[in-house]
Amino acid sequence: MTDLIKEQKLLENVTNPFKIKGRVIRNRRVEVFCDKETVSSVLLYAKTQLGYIHLAHMTCIDWIDENKFELVYTIWSPVEKVHLFVKTKIDRENPEMENIDRIWDQANTYEREMREMFGIEFPGLKGERDFALEDWEEIPPMRKDFDTHNYAQQTYFNRPGREDAKDVRETLVERSGTEVPDFAKKYSRER
Amino acid sequence: MINDKDSQKIVDYIQNFSRKHSLFVMAYGTGCGAIEIPATMTSRYDAERFGIRGAATPRQADVLLITGYLATKTLKRVIRVYEQMQEPKYVIGFGSCTINGGMYYDSYNTINALEQYIPVDVYINGCMPRPESVISGFIKLQELIQQGKADNGKRYRENLEWYRTNQKKIIKNWKMPDYNW
Repeated sequence: MTDLIKEQKLLENVTNPFKIKGRVIRNRRVEVFCDKETVSSVLLYAKTQLGYIHLAHMTCIDWIDENKFELVYTIWSPVEKVHLFVKTKIDRENPEMENIDRIWDQANTYEREMREMFGIEFPGLKGERDFALEDWEEIPPMRKDFDTHNYAQQTYFNRPGREDAKDVRETLVERSGTEVPDFAKKYSRER
Repeated sequence: MINDKDSQKIVDYIQNFSRKHSLFVMAYGTGCGAIEIPATMTSRYDAERFGIRGAATPRQADVLLITGYLATKTLKRVIRVYEQMQEPKYVIGFGSCTINGGMYYDSYNTINALEQYIPVDVYINGCMPRPESVISGFIKLQELIQQGKADNGKRYRENLEWYRTNQKKIIKNWKMPDYNW
């Protein structure tokens, strides 16, 4: 096993100047937790000083029980080959986050997607409001409190027999009059 | 001496025979099923044996294949393509997503039953249907054409309002040219 030297070194390099917390997840994976305000400075510091020049991914997680959105910025260094996750939590009511497309241009695409799918506002964001959807009038669809099944039932025409995700195996058994074979029972959804 | 009815029968027969052996398929793929079309068209399965071949634009095409799941955004484009096609025109629903939504049955962004929005002649089930079943679907369509039963373009024209209501339920911002058939 590797002894995670470069990961520990990176963790110290990132956490010490900003006095934030973090941990080494495993080899080549490091995460740090910071405030909403310090995110852009951590990213800029990692990009300019530590060589983490590639924004691999930006995503959002809806923690509906905590009433928070968690934003995850994944950045990567081609020299050290380590992924650094910068995580922050923002309020779920009127969510707003700093726009980082002055650091990475490609952040624009992710931010537009997050604005559409989660309703997070990024002040000064360029581009159309519609990203992947057209004429969306409901609450943003990737939020946990959006009932996608219910919405699909009401909006689209459901063919009878496909109202729920019920296991079709029972219907097949009824139709054929045979019993469920053992190998099929093993993989049944309802045990 | 043959009367008009019999001569019309002969004309219809020849017309349908010609139509069924030259099905020009609109080169338009939605969803994941379009990956089966190259396999169907190329040498192994060679759909051109049955007169099935590609057409570049909607105005040249006879058949519109809806290959797989149909997002609401794509539905708008599909309707535009379908309305530009000249009659006789046929639609083949391809894969379980067009039949009942398939694995996207509870998605907020894909339709569930295709025939509510445009009339469908033949459905091919499977996820995805193999080239054999695609060809068998086409043969079924050819049978319908020979029997004179594939007149969905006419049905769409006559029930346009019903289809429009369903379409506008999903496409809220209806900014489309009005195609004149």
